[in-house]
Amino acid sequence: MTMDAGQIHDAPPSDGKGTARARASAAERLRGFARAAFSTNLTSSTSRMRLVALLFLGIYGVIGGRLVFLGFRPDPANLRRAAAEAVAAARPDLLDRNGEILATDVKTMSVFAEPRRLIDKDEATELLTAALPQVDARELRERLASKKGFVWVKREVTPHQRDEVFHLGLPGVGLIAENKRVYPNGPIGAHVLGFANVDNVGIAGIEKFVDGQGLADLHGAGFSMTPEELSPITLSIDIKATHALRDELAKGVEHFKAQAGASAIMDVNTGEVIAMASLPDYDPNNPPDIHDVNIINRLNVGVYEMGSTFKALTIAMALDSGKVNLNSRFDAHSALTSGRFRIHDYHPQNRALTVPEVFTYSSNVGVARMALGQGVEKHRAFLRKMGQLTRMRTELPESAAPIVPQNWGELNTMTIAFGHGLAVAPLQAMMAVAALMNGGYLITPTFIKRSEEEARKDAPLVIKPETSEAMRYLMRLNAEKGTAKKVDIAGYFVGGKTGTAEKVIHGHYSKNRLFTTFMAVAPADKPKYLFMTLMDEPQGLPETGGYATAAYNAGSVTGKIIERVGPLLGLPPRFETPKEPFPILARLGYGFVNTPATGGGGH
Amino acid sequence: MLRFLNIVAILALVGSAIYAYSIKYQTSYRAEQIAKTKLEIKAEHDAIAVLRAEWSFMTRPERVQQLADRYLDLQPLTADNIVTARALPERAPHVDAIAAKLDMLGLGVASTPAADPGAAPTTPKTPTKTSVATQTRGTGHQR
Repeated sequence: MTMDAGQIHDAPPSDGKGTARARASAAERLRGFARAAFSTNLTSSTSRMRLVALLFLGIYGVIGGRLVFLGFRPDPANLRRAAAEAVAAARPDLLDRNGEILATDVKTMSVFAEPRRLIDKDEATELLTAALPQVDARELRERLASKKGFVWVKREVTPHQRDEVFHLGLPGVGLIAENKRVYPNGPIGAHVLGFANVDNVGIAGIEKFVDGQGLADLHGAGFSMTPEELSPITLSIDIKATHALRDELAKGVEHFKAQAGASAIMDVNTGEVIAMASLPDYDPNNPPDIHDVNIINRLNVGVYEMGSTFKALTIAMALDSGKVNLNSRFDAHSALTSGRFRIHDYHPQNRALTVPEVFTYSSNVGVARMALGQGVEKHRAFLRKMGQLTRMRTELPESAAPIVPQNWGELNTMTIAFGHGLAVAPLQAMMAVAALMNGGYLITPTFIKRSEEEARKDAPLVIKPETSEAMRYLMRLNAEKGTAKKVDIAGYFVGGKTGTAEKVIHGHYSKNRLFTTFMAVAPADKPKYLFMTLMDEPQGLPETGGYATAAYNAGSVTGKIIERVGPLLGLPPRFETPKEPFPILARLGYGFVNTPATGGGGH
Repeated sequence: MLRFLNIVAILALVGSAIYAYSIKYQTSYRAEQIAKTKLEIKAEHDAIAVLRAEWSFMTRPERVQQLADRYLDLQPLTADNIVTARALPERAPHVDAIAAKLDMLGLGVASTPAADPGAAPTTPKTPTKTSVATQTRGTGHQR
């Protein structure tokens, strides 16, 4: 163009005389410009073509640049992203120790809407509520009127409803596949599993524990895992044993008209909880109100005074100190008086009792004297070492701290010696009793499958192995001729201890509202499983002579559980009693422990 | 010559274009197949998940117990139901009742037709007698 302009400038004559001439020259100049612009003169074509090429190059450059820009720009928050955030994430399967499914995901369809794309919101509301009768029309209308890009209409519709919604053909209404958590076993093992809500977020139990392991964070960051990528989690629970346990417990709770009951089986060598049930329970497929205190897991959320079961701890402390041996005698002539309190025995013998007798007659006076012999400080230190004074943490997010007396005096030591005045979670007490049985290793209970080596790795040795064996002997003796005869199931060499605590009603111990517990170990010579059953306010029945103490209710239920679960857990029944069940004690000079005791009638 | 080369070049161009298009179509066809198969795999996975859930729902101990209580005469296993291998009685020596009878009658083993040896101990007593009788008659005929 500049070259053209130069030519134009050269074209008109440049005299510069008068305005008329100047005007004429202007018109001429314009004409010259037009001629030059539209001329097809070949001399000027090259430069024009170059110009046009440049122009096009520019245009294409802009288009190309724009494409690259668009390509690199991050996706706007579109529907897919909104949907991916909203849908329930996949969760790993939960399996029992034998690989049976405890919880798994299935795909269901959910109906969603994009309010911005809806044409007629009233019509959409009307048609959708006709297809999905459970949806509230007014609420749906409000949701559809919002300015959001994505709203749920109804989660987890049936296949029939899905087809109906699909055939409505409404623009802006769609279906999306979601994961729904199902628990095929219903209430069996519910307290261990916990449950997940409609968004597949763990709310309680192992489900919540799994989320805490990073699954929830991943989903929040937008990395949704497909089910194939999630490896299943194997729990320590045996579903068949859990069913048998729950079935027997339910029968027992109903039979003895107890308010509640709970039962558990623990592997004493690994700390694995093999079975656990707490009644009343719930069906995780219909998640309950999580704040309902009636359905709590009584084994690790409730804290209770464990009653005579604690005597095992007191006796273990005394034996472990070395000051007391199996032949030591304790005065139980009369009730023990401390201030205005009197401690008396349930089965008073009114004589000096040896350590095994203290255990089998469940003598409160005997163990109180035993604890006093150790002193308050040692007693407290021992219970702390056994994990009874601090909150026990397992995989289950729910837990409860024990209720420890603030000013721990001699009277507290005397009562705690027989299980009154210190409230602990029953699972916590099981942990301590398991340590008394397994050779002295305090192993925190777990709900995830593990081996004995893993369990032993960081388990402190809290009592001597010979003390543990002495405790096993006492448990066995108690089942042979003491208060635990109900669990002496032939072939399993069971040992057991009853515990009956009076409940505190309006600040006083109530004589007729009892909390009964029962601990049993099988087999007593090579301990494998620890069984515990507890019952809240069981009633005396005519066939128990009106007694509601632990042996009659929790004890008989535990016996039935052992009988039924023993074959399931692969405990081989034995017919001849083991030749020398307690070798360490025999070497220490207590030869009498290896001869089976019989009789012992009235206690 | 030049023209021939031009024609060849054009043909090659057309040919390569056709080849390129066919490759492209095949690729997109295969890609579609892959996507479809992936969808099918996903659907199968979902179906397997549902079936697994259903299986464990159907075989849940609670239901199995109900069915067993209704249809089976099983009893809970107790210690008395189990015996050790040593407690089992010694296996009795194998007695061929027919052969013994034949021997008693003075007829040799060799002359009798070969009987199924496994069936001998399970045969009840009375039929044994009759069969011995018939066999005796039979052998008598052969003689």
